Amino acid sequence: MSERGVTLLSACISNGSFSCPQHWACPPAEMCDQTFLAITFGPCDCCSDTKPLMNIYLKNEPVNYCSLCVERMACQGLQPNETLATLKMESETLKTKLEEERAKLHDVELHQVAERVEALGQFVMKTRRTLKGHGNKVLCMDWCKDKRRIVSSSQDGKVIVWDAFTTNKEHAVTMPCTWVMACAYAPSGCAVACGGLDNKCSVYPLSLDKNENLAAKKKSVAMHTNYLSACSFTNSDMQILTSSGDGTCALWDVESGQLLQSFHGHSADVLCLDLAPSETGNTFVSGGCDKKANVWDMRSGQCIQSFETHESDINSVRYYPSGDAFASGSDDATCRLYDLRADREVAIYSKESIIFGASSVDFSLSGRLLFGGYNDYTINVWDVLKGTRVSILFGHENRVSTLRVSPDGTAFCSGSWDHTLRIWA
Amino acid sequence: MKDAMANNNTASISQARKTVEQLKMEACMDRIKVSKAAADLMAYCDAHIREDPLIVPVPASENPFREKKFFCAIL
Repeated sequence: MSERGVTLLSACISNGSFSCPQHWACPPAEMCDQTFLAITFGPCDCCSDTKPLMNIYLKNEPVNYCSLCVERMACQGLQPNETLATLKMESETLKTKLEEERAKLHDVELHQVAERVEALGQFVMKTRRTLKGHGNKVLCMDWCKDKRRIVSSSQDGKVIVWDAFTTNKEHAVTMPCTWVMACAYAPSGCAVACGGLDNKCSVYPLSLDKNENLAAKKKSVAMHTNYLSACSFTNSDMQILTSSGDGTCALWDVESGQLLQSFHGHSADVLCLDLAPSETGNTFVSGGCDKKANVWDMRSGQCIQSFETHESDINSVRYYPSGDAFASGSDDATCRLYDLRADREVAIYSKESIIFGASSVDFSLSGRLLFGGYNDYTINVWDVLKGTRVSILFGHENRVSTLRVSPDGTAFCSGSWDHTLRIWA
Repeated sequence: MKDAMANNNTASISQARKTVEQLKMEACMDRIKVSKAAADLMAYCDAHIREDPLIVPVPASENPFREKKFFCAIL
């Protein structure tokens, strides 16, 4: 490999992402002798091709197979003494064993450990700005990294970029479809991605020229076979992660529109996703209508952990700032906290008086507060450690559909079916 | 008819096999105790709580949303 090739390749591996387009063009044979490659990329134990690998167990021995060999292995004819019934029984036994393993480590509850933590003081959080301009239900919003701009999308197909300090609209695009359920700001602040009932995710570069027609520069990146429910840029402008009503999530290259990895495992619509904070690596969590929250490895496409304790659709998932846990909001009117290293649910945020589903959740900067937007038009603020509600915010005149805390934690924004967005601080 | 049934069978076998493999992998995961996980979550909160503008409010002049600023210029 040329010297430039080696430098590029080591840069790709060291920053942990496959964001270098040339990486995918490197001939596989030249990568075999790179000993610093993580175990999730290398020669397959079955076919010896160098590919992203999944870690699986065959006859209780750990092996690394590429996804194609996993499929082939799964489709082989029945072995002697193996029937569908024995396989189902084996999976039931494994599920029980999994529960036992998890229960062994359940020595204490989070709120018990948190009893010695100082209680939080009184909160004064008010609506500081109201962003009016959407003609219909606001479905999704995202903050720009500059902590000031916001992109929001609504049912009427409009995607608007706002300056949250001044409440001015900076850009507006009309999508060719209605119900734009997902929108995201690029890390550079130079583009926005959005999609919905058109089954696609499109990227619009934002120009400083106010007169320029943004729709003309649109780039279609993702193609699903059902509605797009959520999208997010990874650490760069070059890759987008999407989730869809077709039950899959997918990672796309923005420049070429190529599918880099797909994630199969949900048995119903996937409604939300969140990327792990950059320090902790290449994973993301997704939640769906099958009541499951799955944690995925972005490089191999494998589901590494799965949590199924909610009683209804999971509408929103968000990582705890340290990356070791995540919260979820669901139609069963509860929000829950799952710890990834303990591999279990560690807290439930619920009250008998709350009977409407939580549509959107996010953490404050330190992770001590969890904000939940609910379908009963309110926002509940929870003390993450103690499990109690510290505040309830009124103001919206219809369901709260989306909620995000700003990148520097000074405020959070909520979008609602009442056509407005509110900034709270 | 027999072909369709065979296909259905193969699909459900492959699904069942993949579920078994997935569960085996999940069962072998290294887990830590809830007490340790809880302690780590609390430690993170503790370390960052002072920098959290929504819990420890910064002076109004430094929070662009709380300060009262007028954006109309007098021409």
